[in-house]
Amino acid sequence: MTVTWNDNAPIYRQLKERIVVMMLEGQLRPGDALPSVRQIAADYQLNPITVSRAYQELADETLVEKRRGLGMYVTEGATSKLLASERERFLREEWPAMVERIQRLGLRVEDLLARVAQENKS
Amino acid sequence: MTAVISAKGLTKRYGTQLAVDNISFDIPAGRIVGLIGPNGSGKTTTLKAALGLVPFEGDLKVLGLDPRTQRDALMEQVCFIADVAILPRWLRVKDAVDFCAGVHPRFDRAKAERYIAHTKLTPTMKVKQMSKGMIVQLHLALVMAIDAKLLVLDEPTLGLDILFRKQFYQNLLEDYFDEQKTIVVTTHQVEEIEHILSDLMFIDNGKIVLSATMDEVGERFTEVMVAPDKIAAAKALGPIDERAAFGRSILMFDGVPRAQLEALGETRNVGIADLFVAKLKGTYA
Repeated sequence: MTVTWNDNAPIYRQLKERIVVMMLEGQLRPGDALPSVRQIAADYQLNPITVSRAYQELADETLVEKRRGLGMYVTEGATSKLLASERERFLREEWPAMVERIQRLGLRVEDLLARVAQENKS
Repeated sequence: MTAVISAKGLTKRYGTQLAVDNISFDIPAGRIVGLIGPNGSGKTTTLKAALGLVPFEGDLKVLGLDPRTQRDALMEQVCFIADVAILPRWLRVKDAVDFCAGVHPRFDRAKAERYIAHTKLTPTMKVKQMSKGMIVQLHLALVMAIDAKLLVLDEPTLGLDILFRKQFYQNLLEDYFDEQKTIVVTTHQVEEIEHILSDLMFIDNGKIVLSATMDEVGERFTEVMVAPDKIAAAKALGPIDERAAFGRSILMFDGVPRAQLEALGETRNVGIADLFVAKLKGTYA
C-alpha cells in the first residue's frame, strides 16, 4: 500500500486523522479492533513509535481503548462522540457561509425543507 | 538504560587519511537510526569499528562490550548486512541455513525457513543462480532469524528495484523489529526510509554534522515559500538554505519558531533529502 503524507503536519497526526475518517465513514465501528502497531508500521512503512503515538492520542480522546493482551479497540461511544464534534465543527465553520449563500441566492427555507422531504421520500 | 552503541572520541585513520574524526554519539535501544552521508564520509568505517572489523582510536562500546577485545561475545548479539555482502556462489539455500544453525546459538531455523518459503528461493538453489534481489532475501532470512539486539544494515537495498526495497523494510518492521531491538541503517535512498527512522545522523568528512531524533528534526527545521516582498525580512532570520521553485524562493530555517515563519509565507516540514542537501551543500560546491 502506498500512502502519501503531506508536509504540513506530523505523520502521527495524519495517521490519526485517517483513522478518524474511517470511523466517521463506518469502516471502523465501535467494538472493532484496530490493526496492530506492527502491522500498520509495516504496511505504511512507518516507525512503530509514530503509530503508537497516533493510537495514544486516539486513546486519550477515548475514541479507542486498550484491551490488555488483545490490542486497541474502537470504544462504544466513539462514533457518536466524533459525530457530535463534527456537527459542532460544521455549524461553526461551514454553516455560516452556507447560510450566507442561501440568502444571497434568495432561497426560502420552506422550499429547501420541502425539497429535503421530497428527496427522502424518493 | 545503557546505550546500545556509545562512542566517545572515535577516530579512525587509514594511513594519513582521517576517515572518522573524533566523533561521539549514543544510540539507545529500540531506535531505528539512519546514518546518512555522502560516499567516503565515514559511515561504513564507523559501522565497521562498531562491529570490530577495523581497529580504531577512542572509546567505543557496543552493548557494553569493546568490539576490539570482546568481539566473540558481541557477535552473538549483533547482525550485519553489508553492501558488499558476499555469499559463496556454490552455496545452496539449505546449506546456508544449516551453516547458520550450526554456528549461531541464537539462530531460529524454523523462522528462517518460514521466511524463505515466502520467497521464490528453493532449498536447493545455489547463490550463483540467484538474482541480486534473491541474494538479499536469503541474507535477510538468515539475519532476521537471529534474535540479535543490534542489526546493522550498510546499504542493504543497493541495486534492488523498488518492489524489493519496499518488501525489505516491510519484512523488517513486521517480523523483526521491536522495542528491545535497535537498527542502524545507511542508505542513499533516504526518502524511502524517512518515516521508518526514529533518529537521524548526518556524517560528512568523518564528522557528525547533525544528530537528532526525527521529532527534533520536525520541530527544528522549517521550509517557507517566501513571497517576493518578504524576502528581506526572511533573510534577516538567517536561513540555512535557499532555493528557487516555481519562481518563488524557498528558505530553510533551523530553530526559528514556526509561528514567526508563518507570517512570511507558506510553511512546511523539511524532508530529510532536502535537509541533507542543505547541510552538505557547502562541502561539495
